[in-house]
This record gives sequence, structure tokens and C-alpha cells, in this order.
Amino acid sequence: MYRQGDVLIVPVAEESVPSHIADAPDESRDPRGRLVLALGEVTGHAHAVLGAGRLVREPGPFGPLVLHLPKGGKVVHEEHAAIDLPRGWYRVVRQREYLPGAVRIVAD
Amino acid sequence: MQKLAEVEDIQHSESAGNAGNAGNAENAENAGITGDHGNGDGTAGTDTTAGWRAVAAATGPADRAAAEEGLRLAYRGAGLPEPERIVWAGSPLEAVGIVRALGDEKGSSVRDQVRTRPWADERRRVHDALGPGGWTELWSNTGARLWDTTRSLADRIRAGILDRLAEAAGIDPSSDDGLEDRLALETETRQVLLDAVLGQHDAAWLAAFDGRSERLEGLARIAAAAGWWWPYEKTVVICERPVELHRDEAGRLDHGAGPALRFPDGFALYAWRGMPVPAAFLDELPSIDPARIQREENAELRRVMLEFYGYDRYLAESGARPVHKDEAGTLWRIRMDGDEDVVMVEVINSTPEPDGTYRTYWLRVPPTTGTAKEGVAWTFGLDEGTYAPLRQT
Repeated sequence: MYRQGDVLIVPVAEESVPSHIADAPDESRDPRGRLVLALGEVTGHAHAVLGAGRLVREPGPFGPLVLHLPKGGKVVHEEHAAIDLPRGWYRVVRQREYLPGAVRIVAD
Repeated sequence: MQKLAEVEDIQHSESAGNAGNAGNAENAENAGITGDHGNGDGTAGTDTTAGWRAVAAATGPADRAAAEEGLRLAYRGAGLPEPERIVWAGSPLEAVGIVRALGDEKGSSVRDQVRTRPWADERRRVHDALGPGGWTELWSNTGARLWDTTRSLADRIRAGILDRLAEAAGIDPSSDDGLEDRLALETETRQVLLDAVLGQHDAAWLAAFDGRSERLEGLARIAAAAGWWWPYEKTVVICERPVELHRDEAGRLDHGAGPALRFPDGFALYAWRGMPVPAAFLDELPSIDPARIQREENAELRRVMLEFYGYDRYLAESGARPVHKDEAGTLWRIRMDGDEDVVMVEVINSTPEPDGTYRTYWLRVPPTTGTAKEGVAWTFGLDEGTYAPLRQT
């Protein structure tokens, strides 16, 4: 698995990917042609993947995002070093923080 | 089309600046949505969404001429005579007061004709044209991306209006009578709030129709130029945009030194990472010390105090010792009288800052956490045994 800031990218076996992902709509690419895993509302800085493949929003426990990179790719961010990702399937998880009685996502 | 064209121009110049990365061949596979304007490069969804994201967050004086032109267009499009009078308000709070003061002379609400019906018709038309799958894809790449932040902002503004009106009426909701008065006030104000069209805060659903609907052009122009508005037969009451808006990266209202949202007439909301806080509380923040933090009885405010003061500073000054250290970081525990312990992992950023130093950050984890690694694993929904990053930056 790979961590870039508050995003964790976890490899998963192809056979464990839920079958409905195949028919789920793709997230569209940003104007720079990238797959955006997380976007900062204020700075606009993004954890984004360059390369062929698809990104699917998955509301179930396998989510919240599923990434498929048939030829591998690279995840970039304005404030973090890039990480090369081998080809395959991934779950993308946002970091969260504990609050008594609740949980909130981390916004770094 | 002038105002929409302007929004699109901004987007086009943004993409032009990144021409080196744009237009790769595999994008064509993602072109599930193509607008009436034939933008088939597959990036239309996010491209226009970025423009509407900016509309939702826009601050500064309204473009009154453009907004008023949009209003007239929206009325004409609904088959109504143009409004006789357009009244500008400094904030939604002031607008609610004006709407009430106008009484019957403004005529009946025409929100249904100018906003709800055209929207419902256009939604049906686009839904039928794209099919259920196409509509879902369009929505997930446009409106869905802006929905949560704009909706919660509008909810906060409504709550703030009710708070200010209750204060002005001398209602104290902590007493039994006060609670009843507050509910009566809410019932009475609800209708006025329901008559509002949200202008710039309608950006989420307008994003889904960008380039697809002539009929929503008036609404789109108003949204790009101004804040909330109230359409009545004879009069429109329309608001300025905020002069200040501070949010965190997750889009939540967040400011430690003054209002997180402020309108030109002074109507303001105060918040820390999304949590509403009293204005006086923020004034006190710069002068707090660990003793004051311990004395605070409201657990939520105490948490804000800790975050503002800095966990590191608090730990150093209160003489706390780390509970556990491993390759993932350091685990700290602060005992709180009459409340659950505050347990945090201290983590060092893996990427150095431009000056070569490494930034430290703190994440609160459940009080049952025993090791730093267990804490970090929890922040990603994993257990200690399965959390093993091969690379981190």
C-alpha cells in the first residue's frame, strides 16, 4: 500500500473487486486529464493519478473510491513527492480523525 | 449567454494553461457526457464544475447589472411580466427583514414558476436524453461534487438567520418559554426562507445543466453574479455576496481570527473547522492558557481551544509524556477531568518542506488506542496488522 499525505492507496486482488464496479460510471478526468483522488477546496491542490485507467466511486465498504490502472501510473500532489503505482486494482481511502461521538475527515 | 460565456472563458483559459497535459487519447473513453455545445473531450464535467465551484465560493460586490438582466430573463422565460422593482439587500438576513416589511405589496411568490418548474422540466428532458445511466454519470461529475459543501453552507446561513432574529427578539432558547418562542419564530420564518432562490449557492445543480439548457440561462446568470434572491410577482429582493469566506480544505467554514463568513451589512457566521462557535469565544482564543482549557466545561469548545492552542504546546506546558513510540509516530494521552482522555498520534510528514524541515502534525484517535501504529492504521480504517505502507510521501 502507498500513502501520500492524507490518502492511502491499497492494492486489492482483481478477483475481490465487486462485480458491479465493471458497470459503474467512471469519475471524469480533470482539465489536465488526471484522475483526482482528493481535491482541496481552498488551495485546489489535488492527489491525482496520471496514466490510463479508471476511477469509480464506490459507496460500499470497498470504497469510497476504486482505482484501476491496467498499465500502472503515478500519483502526484503539489506538496508531496510523486509515487509510482504498479498496474492493478486499488482501494483509495481518505484519512479520518476521531472526535468524541463522531469522526471527521482530515483536511491538511 | 454572456455570463455563462464568461464562466466558460475562465475555464478555457485554465485548460489552455495546461495544454501539455490535456487531450490525451484515453480521455475520449470517458466522454460519457457531451454538451449541446459539442464539447466531447471528456473533461467537460470537471471543467465546468471548477467554474461553478468558484461561483459558489465567490466573494465581493455583486455584478448588479448582470444579476438584474438575469432576473428579467428568468421572469420572461417563465411567461411572467418583468418585476417592477428590484431591491438589493446586504445579506440574506437583511433580505428576510425586507421581504417581511414589504408585506402584500410585493405580490405572491413566483419561485415555483421561475425556478422550480423550469428546473424540473429541464431535469426530465436531460434525464430522458441521456438515460438513467448517463444522467447519473453527469450528476456524479458535476452537481454531486459541489452538493455537500453548498448545501451545508446554505443550511448554516439559514440557522444563522434564525439565531440573529431570535437574539433581536430577545429570545433565550435555554428557558422553556424561550424554546417555545424560538419554535414559533422558526415556523414563521420558514416560509420566507422557503421562498428564497439560492443564487450562487445553487451552483451545484446549475453545474449539471451548464451548456445544456437555454431555459435556465437567467438563473445561471443570476447565480454567477449575486447571492440569494426572493422572486415575487412585483418585487424581487436580491442579496449581495459575502465579503469574506474562510473554509478549510474540506470546504467547511473555518476561521480562528474573526468571522468565517461575513456579508457587507455585518451579518456573519463564526466557525472552527465547521463547528459553529460564539463570536466572543474566538476573541478569547489568543489569550487562553492550559489552565483555562482545563476549566472549559463544554467539551466541543475545549477541543477547539486545544486545536487552536496547539497540542504540542499544550503537551509541553502541561508536562505530558509520550505513551508509546514506533515507526509510525508517537502516541500521546491527555487526561481530562470528567471527560474521556484525548489520545493523539504525532506524525512527521514524509515530504520535507521547501526549507528542508519536516512538518509535524497531530491526529486525534480513539481513547482505546494503545500504539502509534494502531492509531495511524485507525485513521485509514485499518487495523495495526494490515497497515504497512510500502512508500509514503
